[in-house]
Amino acid sequence: MTLIYGLIWGSWVVFGIATVWAFAWAVRSGQFRQVSKGSKVLFDEDEPVGEMTDAFPDVPDDQLPDPDNEGNDG
Amino acid sequence: MSDTRSHPDGPRPDDDDGRQVWLTPPESMQHSLFIAAGVLATVIASYVGLVAIPNWQVNRLEPVMLDNGETYPAERSELAQKGKDVYIDLGCVYCHSQQVRQNDFGGDLSRGWGMRSSVPLDYTREETPVLGTMRTGPDLRNIGGRQPSRQWHYLHLYNPRITSPGSTMPPFRFLFDTVPIEGRTNVPVGRVDMPEEHSVPGHYVVATDRARALVEYLLSLDHDQTLPENANRGTDPEQVDR
Amino acid sequence: MGDSETDLERDAQSRKAIDASARLPVVFMMASGVFWLLFGTVLAFIASFKLHSPWFLADQAWLTFGRVRPAHLNTMIYGWASMTGIGVLLWLQARLSRVRVPLRKSLIAVGVVWNFAVLAGTVAILAGGSTSVEWLEFPPWVAAILGALFVVVMAASVLTFVRRNVEHVYVSQWYLFGAVFWFPFLYIAGNLVIHGTGASGVAEATANWWYAHNVLGIWFTPIGLAAAYYFIPKVIGRPIHSYYLSLLGFWTLALFYNWAGTHHLIGGPIPLWVQTVGIVASMMMFIPVITVAINHHMTMVGHFDKLEYSPTLRFIVFGAMSYTLVSVQGSLTALRVVNETTHFTHYTIAHAHLGMYAFVTMVLFGSMYYILPRLTGREWSSGPLIRAHFWTTGLGMVLYWVGLTIGGWIQGQMLKNPDIAFIEIVQTTLPYLWSRSFAAALMSVGHFIFAYLVGRMLYEWATDRGKDRLPPMLGGDQ
Repeated sequence: MTLIYGLIWGSWVVFGIATVWAFAWAVRSGQFRQVSKGSKVLFDEDEPVGEMTDAFPDVPDDQLPDPDNEGNDG
Repeated sequence: MSDTRSHPDGPRPDDDDGRQVWLTPPESMQHSLFIAAGVLATVIASYVGLVAIPNWQVNRLEPVMLDNGETYPAERSELAQKGKDVYIDLGCVYCHSQQVRQNDFGGDLSRGWGMRSSVPLDYTREETPVLGTMRTGPDLRNIGGRQPSRQWHYLHLYNPRITSPGSTMPPFRFLFDTVPIEGRTNVPVGRVDMPEEHSVPGHYVVATDRARALVEYLLSLDHDQTLPENANRGTDPEQVDR
Repeated sequence: MGDSETDLERDAQSRKAIDASARLPVVFMMASGVFWLLFGTVLAFIASFKLHSPWFLADQAWLTFGRVRPAHLNTMIYGWASMTGIGVLLWLQARLSRVRVPLRKSLIAVGVVWNFAVLAGTVAILAGGSTSVEWLEFPPWVAAILGALFVVVMAASVLTFVRRNVEHVYVSQWYLFGAVFWFPFLYIAGNLVIHGTGASGVAEATANWWYAHNVLGIWFTPIGLAAAYYFIPKVIGRPIHSYYLSLLGFWTLALFYNWAGTHHLIGGPIPLWVQTVGIVASMMMFIPVITVAINHHMTMVGHFDKLEYSPTLRFIVFGAMSYTLVSVQGSLTALRVVNETTHFTHYTIAHAHLGMYAFVTMVLFGSMYYILPRLTGREWSSGPLIRAHFWTTGLGMVLYWVGLTIGGWIQGQMLKNPDIAFIEIVQTTLPYLWSRSFAAALMSVGHFIFAYLVGRMLYEWATDRGKDRLPPMLGGDQ
C-alpha cells in the first residue's frame, strides 16, 4: 500500500509541478500583467465596449437598450 | 510544423487583409508547447491515479481456493460466456447493476441481493465487468443463487408480467420462437412451460440459442462465497487496510 | 478620412475574412450537429416512453431499451454536441487569435468522415454491436476512426494558436486549448485501456468512469465555458468582471475535474482510496465553479434587461447558470451520505441532463444563434420561433430535471428500506417517468423549430436569397 500511496502522491507532485511551471510561464510572460486590457481583446473600434452585438431579428437596432459605459467596474 | 511560414494555409503578404503579422514564430511555438505540456500533464496525472494504479493493484489479485476445494472465481462455461455477450448486446446493464454495495451502505444486503458485499476479486476473471449504474430493475450479481429456476427465467424474459406483475421490464419475445405443435413427435429443446392464459394456441414457445445462453449466464451469477482471509490483498473497500 | 475610420474598416474587414475562412468547415459541422440532434431526439423519446410503457416497440431487438438508450447517448455526445462543439471551437479560436481557420479542406473531410463514423457506430449499437461500456458503446473500430479525426482537429487548433496575431491569450483560449489537448488523449487512452487488454475486472470500471466523467469535464465543459466567456461579454458589450478569477477557474478545473469520475462507483467493489480520491476531487470542484459563477454573475449585473433582446445571451446565460447548478449538485452528490440514496436512481439521469443539456446544449444553441448569421450572411427568419425554441427547451429541461430529481430521490429512499417490495418502487416512479416523457416532447418541439430555423437559413444561403434582410449589426447595409 505504501507503494501505491507513494505513486499517487508522487504523480500528483510531478504533474502538479509541470502545471505550476506552465502557470509560472503565464505569469512571467505577462498574461496577467495587463489584466483589464486582456479582458478587452474581444472588442475593437468597430464593435466597441458598450455596444450590443446580438439581437432578435424582430428587434430593430434603434430599440436596443442604450449603450452604456463599462458598468460598475469600480 | 517547424516552419509554419511555409504552410499553404498560412497568411501571405498578398492576402486580402494584409494585416496578418506573425508573432515571431519560434517563440510563440515554444510557448505553445509549454502550455500544452502543462495542460496535458493535468489529465495524464489523473490517468495514472485513476486508471494505471488501480489496474496494477487489482491485477495482482489471483483466484483463490475455497474451503470446499473449489477455485474462486470459477471460470464460466462457454454457453454462459455466450450469454454474457447477449447480456451486453441487449444492454441489460442500463437497468440492472451487478454489484452489492458495502454493509450499512444502501439496502443492498438487507434486500437479500447478497450475503456479503462485492469485492474486486469477484470480477478478476471478467474482461468486461458490467457493474452498472442504474437500478430500474434489481441487482443481478447473485440472481443465479436467488432464482435458480431456468423456466422462471424463460417466462420472465418472454413476458416479465407473467412472473412479476407490475414489472416495467420490456418483454424479450424476439428471443423466442413459436413452433407448431401439429406434426411434431418430440418436444423441442428449450420449450417454455407457458401458463394456460399466456400460451400460444397450437404452438410451443421455444427459447432460441440466445435465450438459452442468456439464462445460462444469469444462472451462473452467484458470488456469495465466503472468501479466505487475505484473498483481497488490501482491495476490499470494507477493510481499512494498512 | 481619419485614422480611426480606417481602423474601423480594418477591424470589420479582418473579422469578415476570419468568418469567411470559417464558413465551410464550421457550417458543415453545425449542420451535421443539428441532424444528429434530431436523430438523437427521436431515440430519446422512444427510450423515455419505453420506461413507463414497456410494451411500446418491444418486438424488435434493435428497438429494445438497452440499445435505444446507448444509441441516444452516443448520437447526442459524438454527433450533436461534439460536432457542433468543434464548430464553435474552431470559430472561437480563429476569432480570438485573429487568424483564419487553417486546414479548411481537411476539416471538411473530418466532418464528412465523422458523420459516417457516428452513423456506423449508431447502427452497430442498434444491431447488437454495443460494448455496454457506458459512453464508449461504439465498437472499437469506430472509436479508432473518431480518435484519428480528433487529432486533425487538434492540429488545426494548434496551428491557429501558434499563428495567432494577438499577444494576449484570452481566457476562452485557455479552455479551448485545454479541451483540444485533453480530449484526444482521453478518448484514445480510454478506448485502448478498455477495449484493449489494458484493464480487466473492476479496473475497467474505474477506467470507464475516469473516461465518462471527463467527457463532460474536460471536453464539453471547457468548450461551454469558453463560449460563455466569449459571448456574455461580447453580446452585452462589457468586459468580463474579473479576469484574475477566470484564470484561477481554469487552472483549478484542470487540476481537479479529471480526478472526480470515480464518485460514480461509491460503495462499489473498488478499493476505498479510489472512491475517496473521487470524492475529494468533487469537493475541490467548488473552487472553479464558484469563481466562474461569481464572474459570470458579476458581468451580467446591471445587464439582465438585455436578455430580452438577444437570443444568444438568453441561451448562454441559461447554460452558464445551469453550469453552476449542475456542478454544485455534482459535488454534493459525491458525498457518501447523499450518494447512498441517489446512486442507481433516476436522480443521476436528471443530473446528467442538467450537465449535457441545460448547460452544454443550451450554450451550443446560443453560440449557433450568434455564429451562423455571421457565416452565412443571413439573418434568422423569425423572432417568435426563436423565442418558442427557447421556452420549449428551457421549460422542458426544468420539468425534466425537477420530475426525475424528485422521483429519483424517492426511489433511492425506498430502495434503502428493505421492507418495501421492489415492484412497489417501480410503480412509484411511474408518474415521474411520465413527466419526463412530457418534458421530452416539449424539448423535441423546440429541436424541430430550431432545425427549421437553421434549415431555412442554409436554404436561403444556398439559393442566394434573403440577403436584403441582413441588419447592420451583421454587416448589412446601414
